[in-house]
Amino acid sequence: MPHYPEGTVRALLETDLVTPATRAALEARLAPQPNYEPQFFDADTYQLLRAVAARVLPQPDREIPIELAPNVDKRLLAGLADGWRYDAMPPDREAYRLGLGGINQAAQAGFQQPFVALSAGQQDVVIGQLAAAEAPGQNWQEVPQDKFFEEMLAELTESYYAHPLAQEEIGYVGMADVPGWTHIGLNELEPREPEANG
Amino acid sequence: MPDEETLEEGTLTPLQPEIQDPLLREILEENDLQADPSRNPLEQPAPLPDPTDEVDCVVIGTGAGGAPLLARLAQAGLRVVALEAGPRRDPKHDYATDEKAQNFLFWNDERLSAGQNPVAFGKNNSGTGVGGSTLHYTAYTPRAHRGDLTLHTDFGQGVDWPFQIDELALYYEEIEHFLGISGPTPYPWDPTRRKGYPLAPLPLNGAAQLMERACGKLGIRTSPAANAALSARYYQEGIGWREACTNRGFCQAGCNRGAKASMDVTFLPLAESYGAEIRADAYVTEIERDASGRITGVVYEQHGRTVRQRCRNLFLCAGAVETPRLLMLNELALSSGQVGKHFMAHPGMQVWGTFPEDIRPYKGIPGGLISEDTHRPKDADFAGGYLLQSIGVMPVTFATQMVRQRKLWGQPLRDYMRNYNHIAGINILGDCMPHASNFMELSEEKDARGLPKPRLHFTAQENEQRMNRHAEKLMRQIWAEAGATDIWAFERYAHVIGTARMGRSGDDAVVDPDGKAFDVPNLYICDNSVFPSALSVNPALTIMALSLRTADKFLLQRKAAG
Repeated sequence: MPHYPEGTVRALLETDLVTPATRAALEARLAPQPNYEPQFFDADTYQLLRAVAARVLPQPDREIPIELAPNVDKRLLAGLADGWRYDAMPPDREAYRLGLGGINQAAQAGFQQPFVALSAGQQDVVIGQLAAAEAPGQNWQEVPQDKFFEEMLAELTESYYAHPLAQEEIGYVGMADVPGWTHIGLNELEPREPEANG
Repeated sequence: MPDEETLEEGTLTPLQPEIQDPLLREILEENDLQADPSRNPLEQPAPLPDPTDEVDCVVIGTGAGGAPLLARLAQAGLRVVALEAGPRRDPKHDYATDEKAQNFLFWNDERLSAGQNPVAFGKNNSGTGVGGSTLHYTAYTPRAHRGDLTLHTDFGQGVDWPFQIDELALYYEEIEHFLGISGPTPYPWDPTRRKGYPLAPLPLNGAAQLMERACGKLGIRTSPAANAALSARYYQEGIGWREACTNRGFCQAGCNRGAKASMDVTFLPLAESYGAEIRADAYVTEIERDASGRITGVVYEQHGRTVRQRCRNLFLCAGAVETPRLLMLNELALSSGQVGKHFMAHPGMQVWGTFPEDIRPYKGIPGGLISEDTHRPKDADFAGGYLLQSIGVMPVTFATQMVRQRKLWGQPLRDYMRNYNHIAGINILGDCMPHASNFMELSEEKDARGLPKPRLHFTAQENEQRMNRHAEKLMRQIWAEAGATDIWAFERYAHVIGTARMGRSGDDAVVDPDGKAFDVPNLYICDNSVFPSALSVNPALTIMALSLRTADKFLLQRKAAG
């Protein structure tokens, strides 16, 4: 699979190939958020969400991983929606509360420990059960686990791939769209589009 | 997702309707005043619109349904006011080439999606802001075919439209030339048109070339598609020169060039140049009537104030969810029992694959190539048909819908996404039959304004399922022929249609063939809610055509009445 050089998006952000509005959006996201204090979740639930996010989008290659949990916490605090919800699901705050609780119940059932205390391999077993809609736990009586997993997975994935470093990783430089693209056909690249290292 | 719900004790939220803590209430009040000085009684600069001031027409919504008729009515010399729930923005300065930053283009109030195929809203099926959902439409503008309006006659299924395609053809032509549509002339699947497209087609991107190559080998005819984005500089009344498309590929999250013909750079400036007034951030809550049932005005919320605007006529153009929602909330035009009924959504199945070629799916007009050979497939076991198109895609949109379908997580998710630059897709846009079990209703759950959230039930019926199977098989074949590996399909439904259908009789339709409500003498509806059937093409161009037609029918009737 293709691997792209590091630093591409960050270098482009310094140039006039990016509009001021685009630069502002991406630089805000690029700024690190050290020691984010959760405001919606309590401290334990927040750490549980972080641990889950670290298995859904593992980042062993990054010294400082892209933090995904703060966006969920901020969104739930602000009560923001994305326009729809599965009717079968409770409201988002409730869904996250029940779903994360259910993950802990599954961890207890399988390994007699809370999720955060498990090894990475054990955590993956629990996430795998959830993904297959086979996780044990009484909370799943109240929230359908396939839908919860889909919603959480989509939200974490959106946060990750909206991050400039993740966009560097996949070779996306569409944000550098000034003055537009003239080489758009198959195998046609412009100088600012990075080539994969192989 | 949540915009209103019960909170655990001690949790603070800016959206909680009733704040208990007096200190917090005071702080929030002060913040509000700073953000919006007009709410401060001591600094009240602009007078409220005079409640006795009556305009000829109020138009609710500034998308493809509201904008063209707003311009037409203003050009006829009427005093018209458009109310748009969303903000007015300047695309050149305010739009970022960043999917997440552009979320303000979507109607993000929560809708509840029920049924066997719950429809996703927000990004694909809604819009807000001056220009409505045209601010993020893909700009795909194929015309409907004659047979799309006669499904019942041709197949004994669905319903016929109350008029023939000829009623729309002249409007299609007018709109194509006003907007500056780029497309092939002659059009391969309708070669006898009176006039061709005003501009040559836009260039093909990687996905379009792959589809063209494979379809050529399989004997499927293709053509560069008709798109409402300029392949060359174009002069337009009311706005001047619009610049050509620069192949940013970002149509679905907002064009910052004015090259895409969204309503904010086409019909709305035209309307304003003829004196129409557009009020942004104006969220309509009430439609007022007199004892005889005539609409006398509307009430809306704007910047924290409640405003009444009197009108002689009302044009409801708020889309197939908010239009029926407003009718239900106001108990208006309900006698046919059809408001909210026959909700339809286009089968929009996508097929994706990984190619050895470098594709960079973020470049070029997303819907570059079309085939309509599948409009009435010879081997079909279903009524109606579909079109095929190549698709470009931005990374966040792609990643999130991919995980919803494939459920990849962990290292396999990151590994797959590294192929992004080598991934290309094709999809269909297929007809959808009206069905009694697909409908919209008001739920018990309230939104932040205290109004009931809409709940939409959608289940793909036998006809849609058969069409999906046919299309998936064909698209997999095309992508295999094009050289794709790791091919996967994503069943999805796009566009919201129906819910206030047009027909010949008030017994089974909400509006008559002119778009006028059967129940209310001075109410017109024009958006995708009036479609009796879904059509086998993307709806925007037809909504605009209906919009001009609705205005013309209104003006004729008005003239006849003296």
